Amino acid sequence: MPLLLDRQIAENTWQFVEESLPADTGNADLVVPFELLPQLLDQHQGRCGVRVPGELPYEELLPFLERVALIEIEFPIFRDGRGFSLARLLRRAGFTGEVRAVGDVSRDRLGYMERCGFNAWMISDERFSESDLQAFAEISVRYQAGADDPRPIYRQQ
Amino acid sequence: MYQYNEVDQRIVNERVEQFRDQTRRFLAGELPEEEFQVLRLMNGLYIQRQAPMLRVAIPYGLLSSEQLRKLAHIARVYDHGYAHFTTRTNIQYNWPKLEQVPDILAELAEVQMHAIQTSGNCIRNTTTSHFAGIEATEVEDPRPWCEIIRQWSTLHPEFAYLPRKFKIAVTGGPEDRAASQVHDIGLHLVRNDQGEVGFEVLVGGGLGRTPFIGKVIRDFLPKQDLISYLEAILRVYNLKGRRDNKYKARIKILVDAMGADAFRELVEAEWAHIRDSELRLTDAEVERVKGYFAPFAYDAAAADDASLNQHLAEDQDFRVWYERNTREHKAPGYRIVTVSLKPHLGAPGDATDLQMEVVADLANQYSFNEIRVTHDQNLVLGEVKQADLYSVWQTLVEHNLARANIGTLTDMICCPGFDFCSLANAKTLNIADDINAAFDDLDYLYDLGEIRLNMSGCINACGHHHVGHIGILGVDKKGEDWYQITLGGSSREDASLGKVLGKSVAADEVPETLRRILLTYVEQRIEGERFLDTVRRIGMDPFKEKVYAAAA
Ligand code: SF4
Repeated sequence: MPLLLDRQIAENTWQFVEESLPADTGNADLVVPFELLPQLLDQHQGRCGVRVPGELPYEELLPFLERVALIEIEFPIFRDGRGFSLARLLRRAGFTGEVRAVGDVSRDRLGYMERCGFNAWMISDERFSESDLQAFAEISVRYQAGADDPRPIYRQQ
Repeated sequence: MYQYNEVDQRIVNERVEQFRDQTRRFLAGELPEEEFQVLRLMNGLYIQRQAPMLRVAIPYGLLSSEQLRKLAHIARVYDHGYAHFTTRTNIQYNWPKLEQVPDILAELAEVQMHAIQTSGNCIRNTTTSHFAGIEATEVEDPRPWCEIIRQWSTLHPEFAYLPRKFKIAVTGGPEDRAASQVHDIGLHLVRNDQGEVGFEVLVGGGLGRTPFIGKVIRDFLPKQDLISYLEAILRVYNLKGRRDNKYKARIKILVDAMGADAFRELVEAEWAHIRDSELRLTDAEVERVKGYFAPFAYDAAAADDASLNQHLAEDQDFRVWYERNTREHKAPGYRIVTVSLKPHLGAPGDATDLQMEVVADLANQYSFNEIRVTHDQNLVLGEVKQADLYSVWQTLVEHNLARANIGTLTDMICCPGFDFCSLANAKTLNIADDINAAFDDLDYLYDLGEIRLNMSGCINACGHHHVGHIGILGVDKKGEDWYQITLGGSSREDASLGKVLGKSVAADEVPETLRRILLTYVEQRIEGERFLDTVRRIGMDPFKEKVYAAAA
C-alpha cells in the first residue's frame, strides 16, 4: 500500500499490531490501537505509534504526545470529517511527529488534510496514482488559519 | 458591493480547474461514483429527476447587473431559458449537461461567481436581509460580515465533511428577513448597554423533519471575535454531531440532545483556546470589507420630484403596485422596489433569461447597478428614485414582473417539488397554480392583508412550510399526492413553528381548504389584525371546525 509522506512517495517502516503484543517486540516501528498504547510504551524499545478513530477525544491522547512518533487517524468512510478536527487539535497541542491518515483515504481530500495537520497518507493500491501528488497544489489560496499557517487571509503578508 | 481582489479570483479559478479535473476523472472511471457524488455536491451539482441540477451561489443575495446578465446567458446557452431562485437566495438551473458544468463554472468565475458549497455537508451560502443597508431600523449593515463569513467558510479545510449541511444567517437589526432563528447559526447585530455593536449568537434552529427554533448561546459577541467563535461552534459540531443517522445529524439535534447550556460550555471551552489567536479580526480587514458597502451618493434633491404624485393620482394600476411592491428607503426620495417573481400561473421564483436581462438593465439604469434576491424568492431593486418609479413599473409590467402581490397570499414560497426534485413526495407547482387560479381577485387578497404561504414537496422543507403563516406540505398517500396544512408559523423576529390543522387533504381540495381557513380569519379578526395574529389569538379549533365540519 503506497505511503505519501511530506508530499513524497515513501517507504513505510511502521508495522500495525492489532491484537495482543508479543512479549518481545524488538526494535521495530510499531503502531497499535489506543487501548494497547500504554502497554506498548511500557515494553517497547523501538519507536511507538498509535492508531485512533476520529471520534477519540483529543484530551485522551495528550499524556502520550511526547512519547509517540506517529499518530494514525482512521477514516472509516469518505465523508467522515472528524479526523480533520482531531488532527488540528493534536497539532495545536504541540504534537510534532507524524500524523497519518489511514482507512478510506484518497486524492481529493489530501489538500484539506494537509492544512489540518496531516503529513502522511496511506492510500490503497487501487486508489493510488502518482498524479495524486498534484492534489496539494490544486488550491493555493488559504483564507483560513490552518495547522500549516496560523494566519487567516487578513493577517497574511 | 464586494469586488474580488486577486486572491479571491484565484481561489475561484483554481476551484473551477480542480472541479474540471474531478469531472474528467469521474468520466474516465478513475473516480468512484460515491466520491464524485460528494465532490460534485460541494460544487452545487445534483443529479435530479430529469437531469443534473446546478445551484449557483449568490452570496447574501447580492448581484451586480453584469452578474445577473451572466446568469441569464447561462440559462439561455446551457439550459432551457429560465432558472429558479431559492430561499437561500441562490439560483438553480434544472437542465445543464454534466460535461458542460466546468465550462459554466468558468463563465461564472469571469464575473466573480461560483457554485462552491451550495450543497453537501459543508457551510452553505450565508444569507441576510434583502433590505440590508437601506433600511432605517438597522443597527449596522450585515453584508460586510456576511462577506467576511463567506471568505472564512469558502473551502474551509476542516469543515468540508461535517455531519450534515450547515447554514448561517445574519440580521442587521430588529427586523428578521433572513429566517435566522431557523438556521444552524443565527447572528444578530445588536447594540449592548455600552453602545458597542456585536452579535447575539443563536444555534440549533432548523426545519426539515424535526424543526426547532434556535437557542441563544451568547448574548453579546464582540465583533472582532466573530471568526474564532464560529470556528469553535463548528469544531464542536464536527466532532460531536451524530454521523450514524442523517436525519439526526444536524446541529439542532446535538443542541437539543445535550441542552443549550451544555453545548455552550463546550463551545466556550474550545473558544478559550483560540479567542486570542490570529483569528481575531483586524480593524484594517473589517474596514476594507466595509468600504465596499458604503452608501451610494444619493441625490439630495430626489424628494423634490412632483411627477410621482401625479402618476399615482392618474394611474390606478401604478398606484396599486406602488403601494404593494415598493417601500420606504432610508434616503428621502428613494424607494425599494420588489420585482415580483410570483406571476399568475407561473412557477414561484422562476425567471426567464429575458426577464433577468430586463431586471439587470433596470438596475443598471435606475438602481446603482445592484439587484438583491429575497429569501421569499423575489428580486429587489433596492434604491430607485421616486421620479423613476413610473418608468421602472412600465418596463416590469411589460415583462410580467409587476404583479402587485408582494406580501399577499399569492407571494408564496414554493420549492420545485416532484416536477424536478428527486426527493419529492408530491407536486407543488400545480398546487401553486390552483391557488393562483382560486385567489386571483386582488381586492380580496389586499383585504386579507399580509399572509405568508409556504409550500414544500416533502419533509425536507426547502419551501419552509413550518414557518409559513400557512404551510403546505406534500405527502405521499398510497402513491397519491396529499397535502398537510399548518397554521401559525413565522420565520420573522417573532419566529414560531406552525401547528398541524388536521388530516391532510387531497390535491383538488387545497384551494377550498384555504378558502375556509381564510373565511374563518375574516369572520374572527378584529380590526387591523393580521392573519397570523388571529391564529395566535384564537387557536386552531375555529379553523379546524370550518375546514373539517363539511366533510364530517
Ligand atoms: S422540500 Fe423536498 S421536494 Fe421540495 S425541493 Fe426540498 S427536497 Fe425537493
